Amino acid sequence: MSSRSQEQILSDLGSMLREFNGKEYSGEMSAKTRLFRDLGMVSIDAVILAETLERFYSHSFAFSQFLSDIGKKGNSDIEVGELASFLHSQMRGAAG
Amino acid sequence: MPLINLNGLRFHYQQRGQGEDIVLLHAVTSNMSVWLFTNLIDVLAKEFHVTAYDLRGHGASDAPENGYTSADMAEDLRNIHSALKLGPAILVGHSFGAVVGMHAALLYPDMVRGLILSDPYFPGLAHLEPYLAETETWREVRDALAGAGVDLGERVDFARLFRAVAELTSPQIEHIRKTMGDASLRWFGQMPRLAATTCGRDVFAPAGFTADRICLVRQPVIALYDEHSSFQATRRFLEANLPNVRVEIMPGARHVAPLQNPDTFNQLVQKYSRLLANARPDGKENTWSSPPPHIA
Repeated sequence: MSSRSQEQILSDLGSMLREFNGKEYSGEMSAKTRLFRDLGMVSIDAVILAETLERFYSHSFAFSQFLSDIGKKGNSDIEVGELASFLHSQMRGAAG
Repeated sequence: MPLINLNGLRFHYQQRGQGEDIVLLHAVTSNMSVWLFTNLIDVLAKEFHVTAYDLRGHGASDAPENGYTSADMAEDLRNIHSALKLGPAILVGHSFGAVVGMHAALLYPDMVRGLILSDPYFPGLAHLEPYLAETETWREVRDALAGAGVDLGERVDFARLFRAVAELTSPQIEHIRKTMGDASLRWFGQMPRLAATTCGRDVFAPAGFTADRICLVRQPVIALYDEHSSFQATRRFLEANLPNVRVEIMPGARHVAPLQNPDTFNQLVQKYSRLLANARPDGKENTWSSPPPHIA
């Protein structure tokens, strides 16, 4: 799975997040879709999503650092594209 | 997701790192995500074996109808500690999580090496804090809901708060979003599930952890009280009455130091975890007057 492109990861996330942890989303899914505001996630969903992604990609991600960096930037939400970029860079770093 | 089944209840947990055991205990209406959003879990995992879990009724753990006092949750902690085969652990607790940790230290002393508390209010010390309804955090919540047409009454009543949040309409939710920001809705999002439980009442019950019993906690305690804490009388009580305590003030924080000042909070927890890792589990012969040189 470590060879997946950012576009493929974005597609993976799109499929995964259509129905996640009991929440369904039928709106437009794009890189700009926000986990909390648009998909209706609550904070624990971010933890479960992290666990799900680690299983899905068989890869250990530095999610804690990612989430705290988001907070430090003053952002109160996470865009799907931002998450895809993070996953891609982590997997690429491990592969490289 | 990692779940552990204990006496018919499933608890969601994560473990990272290697070394002495640390258990992270979040606040009521929070969940273990606070330790990821602040990066504390990974900061500590560089040198400790860290366990974080969702308290009953919170996050992805099961939500039984009752059993939410600090005594109940201390027993949950003991069961989790035992099932995961942890050694004597440093407990890091925020708010009610700190009360759970302290109660566990009294009831099950062998499993607790030391404690780091973040701005706790103890139901057993309620007589020291008579103006709970006037704390800034509660006023902010009460006023935001009042603006949305929801009356929470004159006194702090979590059960009423949980029920009110469970019944919010979409326009009311939008009003709160505008008043308190998006993050508040993630916080409020935990509450509807708790509305169907006795949590709101139970967390204000002393549950046997009265002032005289609090004073019996022998393990070393680091009490991190926030600069703008509403619980200064509690801080002074702990400082005066615990046999083995050190108090630090968290600059710029108001009850939510892990999120309001994460860098300083993480640094202090890391520093004091190193110190507590060298403490005797039974609390005997520990002294703060001569910490190991690498800590001082």
